[in-house]
Amino acid sequence: VSFRTKVFLSITATVVLAVWIVAAVVSTLVTQSFERRDAQRTRALVSQLQREFDRRGADVARRVEAVAGSDQVQRMAVNLGAKLDTSQYFAEAQALAQEQSLDFLELVGPDAAIISSAEWPARFGYKEDWLAQPVDWKTQGFFLKKEELADGSAFGLITVRAVKAGEGTLYVVGGQRLDKEFLESLPASEGMRLQLYRNFEALPSPEPLGSKLAADLVKEVRRQPRELTRVSDAATITALPLRGRDNQLLAILLIENSRTELASLKKYIQGTAAAVGVAGVLLALMLSFWTASRVTRPLRDLASSVREVAGGNWDTRASVVSSDEVGQLARDFNGMTEQLREQRDRMIQAERVAAWRELARRLAHELKNPLFPLQITIENLQRSRDATPEQFDEVFRESTTTLLAELGHLKTIIGRFSDFAKMPAPQLEPVDINHVAREVLQLFEAQLRTPGQPAVETKLQLEADPGQVPADPEQLRRALRNLVLNALDAMPQGGTLLVRTSRHDGKVAVEVSDTGEGLTPEECDRLFTPYYTTKQHGTGLGLAIVQSVVSDHKGTITVHSEPGQGTTFRIELTT
Amino acid sequence: MRLRGWAWLALSSLILGPLAGETRPHYGGTLTVEFSTVDAGTALSIPIAETLVRINARGQIEPCLAVAWQHDPDFKRWRFSLRPKVTFHDGEALTGARAVPALLAALKQKYSDVSIEAGGQAIVVQSEHAMPELLQVLALPASAVSRKSDTGATIGTGPFRVTAWEPGRRMVLSAFDDYWGGRPFLDAVSIEFGSARGHADLFDIPVGPARRILPEGLATWSSEPRTLVAILGANADPVLPALALAIDRAPIVNVLAQHKGDAAFGLLPQWLSGYAFLFQSTPDVTRAKQLASQLRLGEMRLTYPSNDLFLRSMAERVALNARDAGIAIRPTPGGTGNLRLLEWPIESTDAADGLKHIAELMGAGDRANRLDSAKPETWYELERSLLDEHRIIPLVYLRETYGIAPRVHFQPSPSDPFTLHLEDAWLQP
Repeated sequence: VSFRTKVFLSITATVVLAVWIVAAVVSTLVTQSFERRDAQRTRALVSQLQREFDRRGADVARRVEAVAGSDQVQRMAVNLGAKLDTSQYFAEAQALAQEQSLDFLELVGPDAAIISSAEWPARFGYKEDWLAQPVDWKTQGFFLKKEELADGSAFGLITVRAVKAGEGTLYVVGGQRLDKEFLESLPASEGMRLQLYRNFEALPSPEPLGSKLAADLVKEVRRQPRELTRVSDAATITALPLRGRDNQLLAILLIENSRTELASLKKYIQGTAAAVGVAGVLLALMLSFWTASRVTRPLRDLASSVREVAGGNWDTRASVVSSDEVGQLARDFNGMTEQLREQRDRMIQAERVAAWRELARRLAHELKNPLFPLQITIENLQRSRDATPEQFDEVFRESTTTLLAELGHLKTIIGRFSDFAKMPAPQLEPVDINHVAREVLQLFEAQLRTPGQPAVETKLQLEADPGQVPADPEQLRRALRNLVLNALDAMPQGGTLLVRTSRHDGKVAVEVSDTGEGLTPEECDRLFTPYYTTKQHGTGLGLAIVQSVVSDHKGTITVHSEPGQGTTFRIELTT
Repeated sequence: MRLRGWAWLALSSLILGPLAGETRPHYGGTLTVEFSTVDAGTALSIPIAETLVRINARGQIEPCLAVAWQHDPDFKRWRFSLRPKVTFHDGEALTGARAVPALLAALKQKYSDVSIEAGGQAIVVQSEHAMPELLQVLALPASAVSRKSDTGATIGTGPFRVTAWEPGRRMVLSAFDDYWGGRPFLDAVSIEFGSARGHADLFDIPVGPARRILPEGLATWSSEPRTLVAILGANADPVLPALALAIDRAPIVNVLAQHKGDAAFGLLPQWLSGYAFLFQSTPDVTRAKQLASQLRLGEMRLTYPSNDLFLRSMAERVALNARDAGIAIRPTPGGTGNLRLLEWPIESTDAADGLKHIAELMGAGDRANRLDSAKPETWYELERSLLDEHRIIPLVYLRETYGIAPRVHFQPSPSDPFTLHLEDAWLQP
């Protein structure tokens, strides 16, 4: 991932995070504000409904008072006091209820038997035993009561008034039905729905109550009667327990306040916030892109310059476009490059001098060794001619033989240097690496079996199907031969020589391992330097040639060695 | 002493004469009548048309337009002699030929093969089948001898004739001076239908929940129970005995019927059969519950005529009583249901005839053939068997009640417990 991308992503992530946090905070604050407003509205509505409820109850009480004070009821009370037949009054309640717009009206005699019933005319003569309780009905307000009707039962806001009838009492029991129409007549605001759950009914499934929330609320209030409010996404529902005279839970009034408008507004605000957020993110993306490009351009230029320098173009200069830290960096880079270039030149110069010195030392060393016998032999010839002319011929023959041998040695040394100087370009062809490995080992078979040679055991571990690699077989054999020679030189006391081939990841590898004394890390570092050798009589060109061959084949060579554990050279070639 | 006696007589005449004059009938005046419905009540006789014979208060057949009659032993041929010097309201004399159309139309309803021949003042009624109860049939109002005028008004031979007629609204009658039984006391009778103001001289007081405030000093007259209200099941139903036990008839009579009736346990009222007390029972809700609990009951529908408020309140009371016994009944106006709440007018003062009529309505007319008017035990057997079928629950016998203004008198006083006769009415000047 490029630095520009990282900068771009960082800025983008920062901006997006900031936008998200702002949106979340705004959304939360808006939601909380709405919730507070909704709760206040619900409380106000519930309070208003309760007031209206009380007002209706007071209205019912007033009407029942009017019935109790009517001429008909007063006359009826007189007749009751006189123990006259009351059967003629059995239709009275209907007329009185109609006059006072009461849904329920019963005229009940002193024996608690119904004389006349508006809501269920046929029920005359039946007892209303609850009226026999000693209650001061004058001070008693309205209360909720379950009324039995011909077609079931209903709730009513009931008031009782007692009228003196001789020594007894005529009870006027009147009320208004608490039903759907009653609920609809209450001043409900828009989006508000009132429902009455009657506690003597089986708990309905959520459908009749409109929602599972309402059904759960009813269950909860039935379990523990109290005012309760629950909120869902769709509505706020408040449950008001409605109790009868004996404090028994008779019904539950469900005040459902729709949150649709609220949800819609909230959704709108959240949608707007989301749109603004998306726009902000898009803007942030563009700004991030622009900023990242602008900020990283000097760095990219600098990086490009670094790459140029790394590629060997030491004359590259980073452009300095600002005076800030990046500009300073570019200036420092240019200064550093300049210094590096100067140091490199000095180092090249020094290395060149060192190489020439090393070459001179090596040549001197290599040439000095044969030259010394040559000098001795020639001086011996001179002394023999002067001292023992009779033996000169013999000495001459021996000396010329020696001279020839040493000259041959000199020639070999010169040939080696010559070979290294003119390494030919490889002629690539498909080569079986196993085949090459076998050939090289066979070359050394005779040498290893020669008596007096250190006992070296050879092992050949070959990949079953290494495939073929494009290589110059001769150069490859030469490289392997040098590695085997190196390994044998490393085991003067004998040991194990292992040649192993393997294949993995599209590459073929050949390893040559010995069980010699191994190399130090410093030796490993310099191992492939030309003319560097750890051996007494080495030219220091063997491994340099191996590296040259491997490099020409676009391969790699590595060495792994630990003191006392032997050394392993590994050549990897691409198939 | 003799002088003193005459003096006392003269003094008594002076003192008692005006008092006696108060009760002596007066001729003249117009009687106003109101009916709360569009029909006239059955207990108030509006004598426009007359029948050949009529049934008196004792349930006996007596002559009316026919003065004599004979029949063959098989009751297939009857001969009636018409009363002479009887004229219709339009002045035509009553002859056999003029009586035949009305009689034939009425008798064809009962006897499909009946034929009537007329000759002078004689009428011969014949049929292939026996007609033992022909006299009772001829005594029914439907068998009255009458004709229709061009305006649709009835032209009969009764003491009053129709002078104005607005169907369903108003009728005005005038005294028929040529009535064979003598001119009635009243000059005219003005009748309004569908009026419940209670301002007339004579008006019906309907049974039911509608409360009516009666004027001060108003006298009332009630007929003997003449309408049976009962629950009739579509079929014999084992729930009916339980329902019968659950129903408390006393509140129905006292409150719903406002004492204008009697509790009914049999089909015929006591005054007609004489044995109705034998069927009397008391409500037993506990027993009713037990009986009902042994049955697998669903909700039953008790239907009643949709425009009858009294029957509606009765149906609701029955449903309430039934609920106490664990029987679910839904009162339903009109339509068909498991149970029906019905009214049966008892049109005849003959017990056998009335019972036969009820049996026929219950689809048991064939069993009524064994009835003998002279043998009350045959009435009882049939009534017992009909009740034991568990198809019918008698609830109440209703009376017809009329409010009578103080100026209205009857001569003789209403002694017929069944019918109030307008021809006997007169007005205090």
